[in-house]
Amino acid sequence: MKKLTLAALLGLGLVSGQALAAGWTGGDDQQTNPLACDGTPAAAAAMPYDGGAPTNPPDRKGKKITVVDVPKLIGIGYFNATSKGIADAAAELGNVDAKTDGPTKANIDEQITFLDNYITSGVDGILFAANDPVAIAPVLKKALEKGINVVGYDANSTPDARQWFVNQAQFNGIAKALVDSMAAEIGEEGGFAIVTSTFTTPNQARWIAEMSAYAEKCHPKMKWLETVEAQEDNNLSFNQATTLINKYGDELKGIFGMTSVATPASAEAVTQANKCGNIAVVGLATPNAMKPYVEKGCVKSVVLWNPVDLGYAAMQVLRSVADGTLQPGATSVKAGKLGELQVINGSEILLGAPYVFNKDNIGQFDF
Amino acid sequence: MSASASIAPPGRSAFQRFLSGYGQEIVVFLSIIFLFVVVGAINPRFLSDTNINSIFAGNAYIAVAAIGMSMIIMAGHIDVSVGALIGVIATIAGTLAVNGYPVWIAWLVPIIFSMAVNAGVGALVAYTRIPSIVVTLGMLSILKGGLISATAGAWITNMPAEFMIAQMRPFGIPSAVYFMVALTILASFFIKYTDFGRSIYAVGGNMEAARAAGINPERVVVGVFALHGFFAGVAGILFATQLQVIQSTVPPNLELTVITASVIGGVSILGGTGTVIGSTLAAILFACIGSALIFLNVSAYWLRAVLGLMILATVLADMARRRRAK
Amino acid sequence: MMSARLLRHETILAVLTVIALFVLAMLSDKFFTGENLLNQGRLMSEVGLVALAMTFVIVTGGIDLSVGSILGLTAILLGVFWKYLGLPLPAAIVLAMACGTFAGWVNGWIITRFNVPPLIATLATLALYRGLAEGISEARSVRGYPEWFFFFGQGEVLGVPFQLWILGIATVIAAVILGLTPFGRATYAIGANEVAARFSGIRVNATKLWIYSAAGFLSALAAVIFVSRVTTTRSDMGTGLELDVITGVVLGGTSIFGGRGTIIGTVLGLILIQALKNGLALSGVKGDGTIVVIGLVLIGAILVGALFDRNRGG
Repeated sequence: MKKLTLAALLGLGLVSGQALAAGWTGGDDQQTNPLACDGTPAAAAAMPYDGGAPTNPPDRKGKKITVVDVPKLIGIGYFNATSKGIADAAAELGNVDAKTDGPTKANIDEQITFLDNYITSGVDGILFAANDPVAIAPVLKKALEKGINVVGYDANSTPDARQWFVNQAQFNGIAKALVDSMAAEIGEEGGFAIVTSTFTTPNQARWIAEMSAYAEKCHPKMKWLETVEAQEDNNLSFNQATTLINKYGDELKGIFGMTSVATPASAEAVTQANKCGNIAVVGLATPNAMKPYVEKGCVKSVVLWNPVDLGYAAMQVLRSVADGTLQPGATSVKAGKLGELQVINGSEILLGAPYVFNKDNIGQFDF
Repeated sequence: MSASASIAPPGRSAFQRFLSGYGQEIVVFLSIIFLFVVVGAINPRFLSDTNINSIFAGNAYIAVAAIGMSMIIMAGHIDVSVGALIGVIATIAGTLAVNGYPVWIAWLVPIIFSMAVNAGVGALVAYTRIPSIVVTLGMLSILKGGLISATAGAWITNMPAEFMIAQMRPFGIPSAVYFMVALTILASFFIKYTDFGRSIYAVGGNMEAARAAGINPERVVVGVFALHGFFAGVAGILFATQLQVIQSTVPPNLELTVITASVIGGVSILGGTGTVIGSTLAAILFACIGSALIFLNVSAYWLRAVLGLMILATVLADMARRRRAK
Repeated sequence: MMSARLLRHETILAVLTVIALFVLAMLSDKFFTGENLLNQGRLMSEVGLVALAMTFVIVTGGIDLSVGSILGLTAILLGVFWKYLGLPLPAAIVLAMACGTFAGWVNGWIITRFNVPPLIATLATLALYRGLAEGISEARSVRGYPEWFFFFGQGEVLGVPFQLWILGIATVIAAVILGLTPFGRATYAIGANEVAARFSGIRVNATKLWIYSAAGFLSALAAVIFVSRVTTTRSDMGTGLELDVITGVVLGGTSIFGGRGTIIGTVLGLILIQALKNGLALSGVKGDGTIVVIGLVLIGAILVGALFDRNRGG
């Protein structure tokens, strides 16, 4: 009886596996906007400001403000780095009292509770990285209603729930950088797999959808094999990447790591399988975690913005908003040592093009 | 299903006694064999030595932690903080290693720490009669919050190569596998053939009856928790040394995986029965299922549903077997 | 004498809660305001609803680890029925809640029909229901609900959040059933000694089926409120809910071994946890510090209760 059940289960699994084989697993269902293959920037359509506005904010110009930063979760390296950038900017500005606090797991319910508590405690400004763009909107709107300045970074909310969003890099830009790097390493006809966090993480789902669209347009013969989930867990990412290597053998030429956890773990899996040079690892990661693999030549390039700069820019933008120097309709904003940053898509501020770390420059970064 | 099996003749053969004593272990073991045969037939790469190595080595720490958890459950208790504890142990070990302490200190200190913490938990449970789920729920919060406060999730890297014990491969087999096998065998002999080991079952079966039989149940509970701390400590070291990076966070849902391995392996949640061989086999079964589902091209979206169904199927098969055995 | 013994833990807990509220009000002047307290009530409603059913479950000596997954599954079904099957939203809500209740019933069925210990049965369905939510939705969220639907999670009646009314009514009903009806007495009897309960003519299996179905129903109700509050549906909703709920229930004095526990205790436990989370945050303690405090309070409160018990009972 038991074997029958198991066999039935396996059958079910196989069927469902085949039924859903079209498209890259893990992408979201929103519209994609792949860039031109040669990198010609698309003509940017000027969009009117579509962010929200706080209700009757007090005059905060030049005054000391208290700011809370609520990232997706605390206790991981990436948000540790953004938090450091925020603290750096606050120290440099001198008139900001900033602190980072948030849930210990990427949980939208807990994030809302944290934001709610800080709204009650009466902060002047909120920085956030949303676990879900829609779910976070009601509580952010509540903050705006209380006259609090709200600026997002890393992961956006619906535009009208915040004033500005500091965009580390456009989704289609990241997608192009990743897919082009992979194509350069494994050739136009190579097979590759993806290791992501969870399919419900908005940024990762967006990137995978954009990568799928861009690859179809510009590298149509590259072969997507499979996407696996690995949470934000090092050991699970390693196990999943190893299983992919074992499963596909020579068919697998490359692995995309979609998170700063998955990429080094995939590189480690390739290293421990003695496949350095045979299987390329391309992905988003922080330079410190990748140094051993890049220096050994196992990984050629790593794509990432600088998360410290991202936090720094977010804090600078929030200060400008509070001071009233950044108004709807502006085309750029001054962000301290980062200089002038561009406004795009109506109410987003672009940090810059994604940075590609390689053997020559990775030693210069420490985060 | 068959009426003849339900009425066991008085003089059962040794084989039948073996079957009834290790029923669940056999079910789990056959499931593993079944998976290997079926998945191997569909995709022979599943049976490649690298894949078998990674199934065993990549999950050995779960099996080791499940040994201790099984003892806890046999004694009629539970520990929901084991995942957080393993995260803390890994972080302590890594921190000691990068700060230049000799590797044996980096290995041993966290294990001793883990035993001390759990002995404390055991003492609370045994002497104040607070249910273990309450104490360990509290410990889960304390360990998790404390770890984040202390490290903020800063990754530990650049650990010395000789620290990476789980990556060593004597005779071509990952050392984690040796630990898993050796500790399973040791623990089963310990439980079966020492007074202390047998008293675990007695305490889990009926605390007052155990006391009447001259056992000091409080002392046994403290001892079992300390032992569990030892296994969690070893699991934490294996976990920490598997990769070049320690995340300094609590591994998500690890406690559920460990508890599930123990109970699927045949340890009764009511205490008093079960073996650690079963829990190790169950941990291996899970690792096999996780790998097999990828090899079988099960849609990644449906993976967790299939896993849940398989756990349920294993549980129901066990229940059907027990009913027949009666 | 029995009821005095039962209520001892609740008394200690009530004193502790009052002390906590007092101290937290001292620490921050933003804490003890009507607006903040009502808002906290809104935030604890989902956990509270599930905790009511969990009290019954634990009093029978069982446990239900799958409540968070049922919440996620119901939320996804609600979205899928409405958006992809094109049902009218009210019908989708009712149908999704029926499915959630059925999921709870399945737990009870596995537990009673096959004699599977509740911990194991619901460990399996924890994975199964979450997996179904992920598979059915392909991990995609459903958005764009009509404005009227947000009333359940964001609206107010007579100045009090809508879901707090629901929680209040459900609490009264649960307290009456557990404390004053034959069903409640059967629940305690099963937890105290299942075999004896069976012999004294209590319909053990039917009672358990009702209780696990109720856990499914209240998890489903919490799902609807949650979706309405956050205006979107995700397959990972309610992850880890079971631990929050169980923490509240055991802090409320319900014995994990069964046979003991009250709704009033559960409510006090929930209030104490929510007050600590909120009050500590308002007085400047960060999230990681707060969970350490909650862990200490949980152990401490039960410890104090146990020590009192020992001194009186010998």
